[in-house]
Amino acid sequence: MNDLTQLEEPTEIDQSMREEIRRVSHATRARRLLISRVMTTLCALTLAVTAVPLVLLLFQLIKRGAPELTWTFFTKVPETPSLIAPNATGGLSNAILGSIALNIYAAILAIPVGVLVGVYLAESLSKFASALRIIAQTMAGAPSILMGLFAFSFVLQDLHVGFSAIAGSFALAVLMLPVIIIATEIAVLNVPNTLREAGLALGAKPHKVSMRVVIPSALTGIVTGCILAISRAIGETAPVLLVIGGGYLNTWKPLSPVSALPLSIYENAKSEWPSQRAQVWGAALLLVIFVFILSLTARIWASRKQKVSN
Amino acid sequence: MSLIGESIVDSELRGDKGVVEEFGSSTTSRSWYHYLLLAACVLFAAVSVGFVGSIIEKSGPTWLHHPATLITGGGWQSPNGPFGGLAMIIGTLETSLIALVIAVVIGLGTAISIVFFIPRRLRNIVATFVELLAAVPSIVYGLWGFLVLAPWMYSTVDPWLNSWPFAREIWGDPSQQYGPSLFLAAIVLGVMILPTFVAISREVIAVVPNDLIEASLSLGATRWQVIRKVVLPTSRIGLFGATFLALARATGETVAVALIAGGVAKVQFHLLNPGTSIASWIATEFGEAQGNEISALMALGVLLMLLSFSLSLVSRWLVGRQRKLLAKV
Repeated sequence: MNDLTQLEEPTEIDQSMREEIRRVSHATRARRLLISRVMTTLCALTLAVTAVPLVLLLFQLIKRGAPELTWTFFTKVPETPSLIAPNATGGLSNAILGSIALNIYAAILAIPVGVLVGVYLAESLSKFASALRIIAQTMAGAPSILMGLFAFSFVLQDLHVGFSAIAGSFALAVLMLPVIIIATEIAVLNVPNTLREAGLALGAKPHKVSMRVVIPSALTGIVTGCILAISRAIGETAPVLLVIGGGYLNTWKPLSPVSALPLSIYENAKSEWPSQRAQVWGAALLLVIFVFILSLTARIWASRKQKVSN
Repeated sequence: MSLIGESIVDSELRGDKGVVEEFGSSTTSRSWYHYLLLAACVLFAAVSVGFVGSIIEKSGPTWLHHPATLITGGGWQSPNGPFGGLAMIIGTLETSLIALVIAVVIGLGTAISIVFFIPRRLRNIVATFVELLAAVPSIVYGLWGFLVLAPWMYSTVDPWLNSWPFAREIWGDPSQQYGPSLFLAAIVLGVMILPTFVAISREVIAVVPNDLIEASLSLGATRWQVIRKVVLPTSRIGLFGATFLALARATGETVAVALIAGGVAKVQFHLLNPGTSIASWIATEFGEAQGNEISALMALGVLLMLLSFSLSLVSRWLVGRQRKLLAKV
């Protein structure tokens, strides 16, 4: 506005107005500060509320689980306690072996397909690719019990394979697939375009560029994704619950029923024998150790990637 | 970028990075490599079609003969039926919504504290710790709830809650309470999805540009005003995403709920009484199920699938809409 300059100079009324403004601004400032203090304190409180149950959980897990991880735990098959020997629980070697076998088979099934689909999604602009992307993202959020239902209806009912490790691995592979696909796609998209263009400018065919330049540079990201997929699958109970059959045998054969660590936790937690309920804590601790090692490995891989690209 | 939130930030990558080569656009790229990739994609498409198709197919008899009973019926009489799923549907909604409220209210405050109030040196350690906790298998949370919390609830917390006014209307009949309950399941679910929610929202909040925060501070805004008026609005897309991811995890949780909800198929609005959820009911009943009951459990699976897919659809729509709104500004 151009008539600002024509405003009259303040008169004596203005002094009181000025004070009024100062008073109000002081008051609001005090109010704002008070609200801010209260809210930040509340935030800090929620941090404590979060920490308490989680720290308590970890503490109890270690306190109750560590004494159970004995030599017998790793080497013997389970026994059923009886009135004569209420503490004879044996070990969980069958579940440990079963968990490892299940996840290795699942990784063998899922990783090749997942990585190839991920590369395709990153390199293609077709409608098919965007449809697959939506499917992968939707499946990544699907409840894991559905993978178990799928494995039951497809592998057990349609293919007539009995309760077996391979049925469980199939369920876990379906669970891993979307995780691997999404991670691979991001890793490939993260490869700088200049690398691709350099390859193409040297006269390499597009598929050579993809195979020799893009995939090797994206490899750390892809490996991270695969490790994370395995670390998610190894702790899953629901998909294997319906199809692996359980059993006390030490076996890794794809077609025989196996047990798994999460499954024995689920079943023995409801046991009437205190010794078996105690042993479950050992299995839970072992499972958490597995998952932590895998996640930390993935993190280390991921940070290596950053160092290399810097 | 961390390991958990990747699915949320991924579509931003595509935006600023052109893709050099579209496979199949030129004759030169029609190599064996192209066909190998396509074959893998077709296999994945077949698996996903089979995933949806076979569960729907196996649930066919139930949908053909007793669709109304499954959705509105109250009781579950194995082995011959009727199989009513209303108790499970309501149990799923009750547990996951309470868990979500717990996780979002506490988790948002925690994420804000981690980003703004914790000393810089501790920040990375706490963030890593939270992400590791998000990877802890749900069966471990279930075990903890079942062996530690349930006895404690029964001996200490339940009597206290029952001494509230209107306790019978909210919490239910004390003679039916023995530890495991819908409320306990909701609390454990809340604790379980808390690290997931905190890990993602921490990441989302941490990438809010410092310029915005400093500009706001220099105008005299208090810490809380900066958070309320600048940080939260800027990161709302990611926070939406985190909320939906947490909700999806809570609704689909199986074994933890199977251990601590009590496993009673009864429409239950009294929170301290035992109940069940869709996923956990499938897990507990499947072992002894035969014939019609398998079909009814598969039909519950279809309901769970519908719930999960519609959650993912709604979150996609909301995030897309928010992104458009932000692009206009």
